[in-house]
Amino acid sequence: MSKNKSSESVKVVVRCRPLNRKEESIGPAGCIVQMDIRLGQVILRNPRSTASEPQKTFTFDAVYDANSKQRDLYDESVRPLIDSVLAGFNGTIFAYGQTGTGKTYTMQGAWMDPEKRGVIPNAFDHIFTHISRSQSDRQYLVRASYLEIYLEEVRDLLDPNHGNARALELRENPDSGVYVRDLTSCVCKSIKEIEEVMNVGNQARAVGATDMNEHSSRSHALFMITVECSQPGPDGRKHIRVGRLNLVDLAGSERQAKTGVQGERLKEAAKINLSLSALGNVISALADGRSSHVPYRDSKLTRLLQDSLGGNAKTIMVATLGPSPQHYDETLTTLRYANRAKNIQNQPRVNEDPKDALLREFQMEIARLRAQLHHRKWRSKQKKEQVDGEDWEGDGDEETDGEEKAVEEYVKLEEQRLEREKQDIREDQFMLAEEKHRLLGEKRG
Amino acid sequence: MASVSSDEWRAICDKFTNAQNLTVVESCNDPDNDPFRSKYKARELLREIYCSLKSFEAGDGEEEEESGGESGVQRPVEPPVDGQTEEAFSQGFCGDSPAGLRAAKLGAVEYYLGVNHVDTEELSAGQEHLMNCMKLLERCRVSSENVSLFIHVRNQLGILWAGRDETETAQGFLETAESIYQRYMKEDGSPPFDMTDYFSTEENLLTHQERTKRFELAYTHSMYYLAQVYKNLGETERAATYCHSTLQRQLKLNQFSPMEWALNAATLSQYYITKGRYMEGRHCLSAATVISGLAGDVPSEAAAQESETESERREQLRQKRAEIARCWIKYCLNLLQDSKKLLEDSIGELDTDRQEEMKRARRLEEEEEEKERKSALLFGSEDTFDSIASLEEKVGCLLPLDFNEARAIFLVGQNYVTQAKEYFQMDGYVTDHIEILQDHSSLFRSLAFYEEDLERRCKMHKRRVDMMEPVCNELNSKYYLMIRRQMMFELAETFNEMMDLKLTLANRQDDSESLDSHTIKKFNNLCSASAKYFQMFLDSLCSPEGKQPEHLEEEVLRPALVARFRVARLYSRLICTAPSGQVENLDKSLEHYKYVVQYCDTHPEAVATVETELELSREMVGLLPLKINRLKAKMTANN
Repeated sequence: MSKNKSSESVKVVVRCRPLNRKEESIGPAGCIVQMDIRLGQVILRNPRSTASEPQKTFTFDAVYDANSKQRDLYDESVRPLIDSVLAGFNGTIFAYGQTGTGKTYTMQGAWMDPEKRGVIPNAFDHIFTHISRSQSDRQYLVRASYLEIYLEEVRDLLDPNHGNARALELRENPDSGVYVRDLTSCVCKSIKEIEEVMNVGNQARAVGATDMNEHSSRSHALFMITVECSQPGPDGRKHIRVGRLNLVDLAGSERQAKTGVQGERLKEAAKINLSLSALGNVISALADGRSSHVPYRDSKLTRLLQDSLGGNAKTIMVATLGPSPQHYDETLTTLRYANRAKNIQNQPRVNEDPKDALLREFQMEIARLRAQLHHRKWRSKQKKEQVDGEDWEGDGDEETDGEEKAVEEYVKLEEQRLEREKQDIREDQFMLAEEKHRLLGEKRG
Repeated sequence: MASVSSDEWRAICDKFTNAQNLTVVESCNDPDNDPFRSKYKARELLREIYCSLKSFEAGDGEEEEESGGESGVQRPVEPPVDGQTEEAFSQGFCGDSPAGLRAAKLGAVEYYLGVNHVDTEELSAGQEHLMNCMKLLERCRVSSENVSLFIHVRNQLGILWAGRDETETAQGFLETAESIYQRYMKEDGSPPFDMTDYFSTEENLLTHQERTKRFELAYTHSMYYLAQVYKNLGETERAATYCHSTLQRQLKLNQFSPMEWALNAATLSQYYITKGRYMEGRHCLSAATVISGLAGDVPSEAAAQESETESERREQLRQKRAEIARCWIKYCLNLLQDSKKLLEDSIGELDTDRQEEMKRARRLEEEEEEKERKSALLFGSEDTFDSIASLEEKVGCLLPLDFNEARAIFLVGQNYVTQAKEYFQMDGYVTDHIEILQDHSSLFRSLAFYEEDLERRCKMHKRRVDMMEPVCNELNSKYYLMIRRQMMFELAETFNEMMDLKLTLANRQDDSESLDSHTIKKFNNLCSASAKYFQMFLDSLCSPEGKQPEHLEEEVLRPALVARFRVARLYSRLICTAPSGQVENLDKSLEHYKYVVQYCDTHPEAVATVETELELSREMVGLLPLKINRLKAKMTANN
């Protein structure tokens, strides 16, 4: 049921990689992850637990096991999103997973081998194939930007001076929304060109090798592709449609800032995980409410993607898992995170303010209207009882006086009723105050 | 054991200093492709220290019953349960006995090894070392020699288990740390050894002042971790109390950075105001303002252009002070709105009986405030205490009960609106700027409630329209759809309110039922403007092709149906002398009422959200055709 409840526009898919050479000795029986593709379920076994401990089951929009093909994942889960970007909407793909779980393989794969191409090269191919096959009156402009967010600082990966450049700032414009000030944007005319842009950025990216996987990194990376399509409309004027695709590589969940400051780690961990769990700062979380202001500690990533996570935008989260027992803790964390992601509210809050105020404002109006209705009903009923078939001509102005009087009376009755209600409320409040005093007294006593 | 002055011991101390240096200083410079290099080196040193300590032990002929600290075997990760504080204070070796000191020293090495493993992402091994430390401490009684280690190891275990989402386990460790601290301070309280003291030569021992500082800091961390644990457990009130204590301790122990502290205090105020605890909220905000002042003056624009650091500082200070101003705005706004909620009658007007009653109850509240203030956990150091108190005096924390009191709070709020807007300008900060505008508008709306003069009340609403209308029309819907929807709705309602006020005014001035043409024109303009913005809101729900949605999303369900209902109502209120015009308006009105009814008929789940409106719409759908027919009949008769 919860699956249906989650928004149509946020999909979470999970993929588990096969055992690698080092792990082969474990054998299939040693795997901690089992998948039910039909039900979209992941069943996780705790390697350190006794047989009696129940296994943990998670349900997602789709799951892909060790035998899954790159193409299947793309066609089933990603293709519709790219189609919507080409139609002028925003789409976002998040990749999330512990290092060494095949996140890079899933997202990038082997570019040269069509069988092993990952989500990104497939998406590039999809976009440019679509453009090359489109009608000649349509003109397309594809632009790409590449940035990384490292410890909440935004850096331009396409800036040759990347390493030394100052962190970029997020700004907003009434006409064009959130943007990164001074971010490089490259026009790409072919797959080759866009691949080149991505390569340049990948090389610039702060890659931190660890003992677990040297290709892993500690930063979020965001590759943004803007597809602009201009086409003459029926009115002869050019119509421009802009869609944007955000490819987000989320920093691994187990990554922590390398910090020597003791005791600060919980905070640091929260910081690097800010975008992931949106836990933010404890106080901010406590203070969060409609009527309060929580100073901006919102992650840069969330802010950057704010217009991509609403309206008609589609979002997919691809989480990758490792099957080996030694990664149990991290795998569980990934699954829990992915599970939470299912409930992302894609629609920002809409003003619900009118609810109470409106009803109150309308109470008198309602009374008046009801009075009229009441009177009319009563009259028409009477009329029906009198003579059926009498036409409306006889319903003259002279009757208005009587109607007004009835209305007035009704309103008066309503007012009295409201007065009584008011009284009740007042008494209720009085009781509350009394209760409060009593409790305060008890507290002191 | 080797004597403290021996060369062997000196070598151990040197190794320890090295390990510390590698962990804290060197590791910051490790290359990205080998981020834990220094930590691994430190680990080796710690292991050597451990072995040396053990060999001293063996050499001294002590009994050997240690569980090996080196095994890399994975233990089953069963959440451990912490021992009782009571036992820690009454059982085991004396802290200053040779056996007690030895246990503490070994425990400290285990502790550092544990932290080292956790830092290098080897959680299970880290846990094992920390638990070894716990086991060693189990044999000791809490004393000034070891209490610091008692607290630190529990803090680390708390972090470790919290990281695994085993919050209750973390809670257990941290709460024990808390009670050990409290009991120690009550029963002993002397500046305790720091763990580094175990491995310092005589001349390098920490001063008492430094010992106290480090110990208190460890406890501040326990509080801070507990705040997070309680938050994760959903115990918000406890979490808030621990956040408050953490802030208070930071200030008292002078361990804070002013802007960060100020922002935290300002944010905490937001928790209090949503709970109606305005006195605490005001205290947090006043402290935030005063402490943020400690960060110094904002560098001038000229200075910022000269240097990058100054420019950065300028940006930071301006932004954070503007954020604090925004928290103040919410304080004023909530205070006004809460009071309004209590004072208004069922049709949203001031209930004077209730007002009198509340004024009588006021004196009691004032006395209570005084009492509560005395018992509250107050912020401040010697030099900030007075400034915080004097800032508090500038704005009330009791619900305003009449126009003058409300106006005083409104003015404070409006002043902060100006401050906040100076930084959060439209160009660059669209969302923030508009949120501030919306608050400003709400401040006016609340104040209008207390205003008896309807003419002036109407002007207040006009101010709201003036600040929102141009902005709403300037925004691009593609990026600011939600904000625009909110503004459309608010504009529609504001025009509606103005329309009602105009009508009441006209009726008051003139006893005769008929309105003069000028008033009618004004009334109709306001009525149309209101309908226009409701309609704009409804249009914003349409698909890109302009089609009405067949199914309304849950988030917009009520607003959309209410907008329909109100448009219907507005059309029927338009004053039109020509019967043909009347019929036209009523037709439109009927159409919208019908939509509400039909939508609810086909989507039963919508009924509950608009019960009253639906009931009324049904009646109108039944009634309006009669009225329209009558009008039409009259028209034919007159022709």
